[in-house]
Amino acid sequence: MSRRYDSRTTIFSPEGRLYQVEYAQEAISMAGTAIGILSTEGVVLACEKKVTSKLLDDDGSAEKLYIINDQMLCAVAGMTADASILVNNARVAAQRYLKTYNEQIPCEMLINKVCDIKQGYTQHGGLRPFGVSFLYAGYDDRYQFQLFTSNPSGNYSGWKATSIGANNSAAQTLLKKDYKDEISLKEACELAIKVLSKTMDASNINSEKLEFATLSLSSKEEGKIIQKIWNDKEIDLLIKTTGVLNDKSTGDE
Amino acid sequence: MDIILGIRVSDATLIATSKAATRSISILKDDDDKTRELNKHNLIAFTGESGDTTQFAEYVQANIQLYSMRENDIELSPKATASFIRNQLATSIRSRKPYQVNCLIGGYDTKTGKPSLNWIDYLGTQVELPYGAHGYAAFYTTSLLDKHYREKMSIDDGLKLMDMCIDELNKRMPIDFKGVYIKVVDKDGIRLIK
Amino acid sequence: MSGYDSALSIFSPDGHVFQVEYASEAVKRGTCAVGVKGKETVVLGCEKRTTLKLQDPRITPSKICKVDHHILLAFAGLNADARILVDKARVEAQSHRLTLEDSVTVDYLTKYVAGVQQKYTQSGGVRPFGIATLIAGFDSNDNVPKLYQTEPSGVFNAWKAHAIGRSSKTVKEFLEKNYTDDLSEDETIKLTIKSLLEVVQTGAKNIEVSVMKPNSVIQTLTIDEIKKYVDEIEAEKEAEAEKKKPKN
Repeated sequence: MSRRYDSRTTIFSPEGRLYQVEYAQEAISMAGTAIGILSTEGVVLACEKKVTSKLLDDDGSAEKLYIINDQMLCAVAGMTADASILVNNARVAAQRYLKTYNEQIPCEMLINKVCDIKQGYTQHGGLRPFGVSFLYAGYDDRYQFQLFTSNPSGNYSGWKATSIGANNSAAQTLLKKDYKDEISLKEACELAIKVLSKTMDASNINSEKLEFATLSLSSKEEGKIIQKIWNDKEIDLLIKTTGVLNDKSTGDE
Repeated sequence: MDIILGIRVSDATLIATSKAATRSISILKDDDDKTRELNKHNLIAFTGESGDTTQFAEYVQANIQLYSMRENDIELSPKATASFIRNQLATSIRSRKPYQVNCLIGGYDTKTGKPSLNWIDYLGTQVELPYGAHGYAAFYTTSLLDKHYREKMSIDDGLKLMDMCIDELNKRMPIDFKGVYIKVVDKDGIRLIK
Repeated sequence: MSGYDSALSIFSPDGHVFQVEYASEAVKRGTCAVGVKGKETVVLGCEKRTTLKLQDPRITPSKICKVDHHILLAFAGLNADARILVDKARVEAQSHRLTLEDSVTVDYLTKYVAGVQQKYTQSGGVRPFGIATLIAGFDSNDNVPKLYQTEPSGVFNAWKAHAIGRSSKTVKEFLEKNYTDDLSEDETIKLTIKSLLEVVQTGAKNIEVSVMKPNSVIQTLTIDEIKKYVDEIEAEKEAEAEKKKPKN
């Protein structure tokens, strides 16, 4: 009876490591890249779509971007099925906080809650850890715009610019080189495209392989947050204005 | 028969609570404090079924303290505090044995720099008011407050108005409530005036 | 496979509980934390990972957590595990206040934390907590500093000065050599930082320090304050080296 539950619980290796967690992280480093950049006017999340097919009946909804509540968005790298469980938890937690306190949940608290769930799966229950990393873009009145990542171990950290998934160390290096503290949202979007164009395996990038979202403040209504998941046209336009395609073709010649 | 009374002035909230603890026809003590500090800038004053009152106030206090600990000393705002308490009472009223507690929350929002007074009853009604009271005190003082309350009152003006209310209660109420404690909540926190 | 193996942490034929021992290895992989007791102060110091260039400096999770107004806890080991354990401690501290009308004593809280850690070494389907903790503080209406340590096994001890985590052995040896009773506040802070410098080569920017005094007074040192101590210590070391030179 008991074996049914505990046979698979994550355990310590002789060196004090949690291999199950490390393997989960390994799996994520092969998933599509996601990049997040914090700017003074908002946050941009960009990710690489791995499943592309002409036959896919696209309903226009994003595959790796989720809206959590009125002031938070997240991007996923890893097992999307696992992600939807956690995203659902996050959405419920956010609404529950709103219901009890009549205020939006502070970003870090929500991420903390999601990470506590992740941690639980590394310690008890007899199940494997969650195979997903997240990038969270959020706004709250404690710290205004924020960018976080979390991984299967249940750790999280705050960033100005970061990436998860495949080639994330290469992306990180590129970001480190080109990020500057007073970056505008437009520049951040362009930087995201630039970095993705270099880290993605595909020879040319277009809206079919990309998902894009931004979080910014409304210019019309004070304190209102605008969450925008970009449509194909807008992404293509951005790619065009950035000129990454031109760079590439000249580079190839 | 307890008196709890609150007035919000321009940069503080004043809370007065009667000192008498009564049971049936007797006064048990004359230095009862019917308030609890929830955090540095939020004070709850309560009245209702004795036993329920302190139990509820201290439970809420523990929860709000826990919030501060978890959030590295970031405090819950007065609005969030009041909403939390309302939520607790609204849940309780739908349980087998509801808390019979009415309360006032005097708070000061350090972020917006605004004081507030929240009136909450055992049914889960919550309203933000410039002044308010529960029980009999409300009948005796509302008209006075209606007449004399002004926007932009100083703490001293507020205390004067509070004294008028207490005098009225002493004069007209058939019961001796043994005077009141008056506490102020402002940017510096909570302090006892008298 | 007869149902006796429901616990993950079980005795091996030669008497080891491997999961607990392995958890202690996880502690050794964590950054170092030091606690030192003075006459009327207790100081916790931690090695802090460098914030990377692109990391958001506003959000830097500290390794020194406030459990209640009068108790601090520093840990070494798995961060995510620590969050869970610290939260349990915080809930217990408030629950104790609510039922007993008194704040927890440092001793009680330590026993509670150690108790939780022990439970995770003897329950079905769970692994132990991969953290060791240093718990410091003052009991209410008391001026005597308290310092305790708990381990993944659930063992706890009171210490005058102690270290956990990476290279804690070196730090412990240093503390044994240099600790004296009745240290002043300044001396306590200095000893804490000095001992941390044994394993932290990069100086003030990789150190965090919290000082506790009676009546729930907690002071977190700024990087400049820490730097002042570091400079002082380095100057002393240099002077000592100078003194030795002419002899040679």
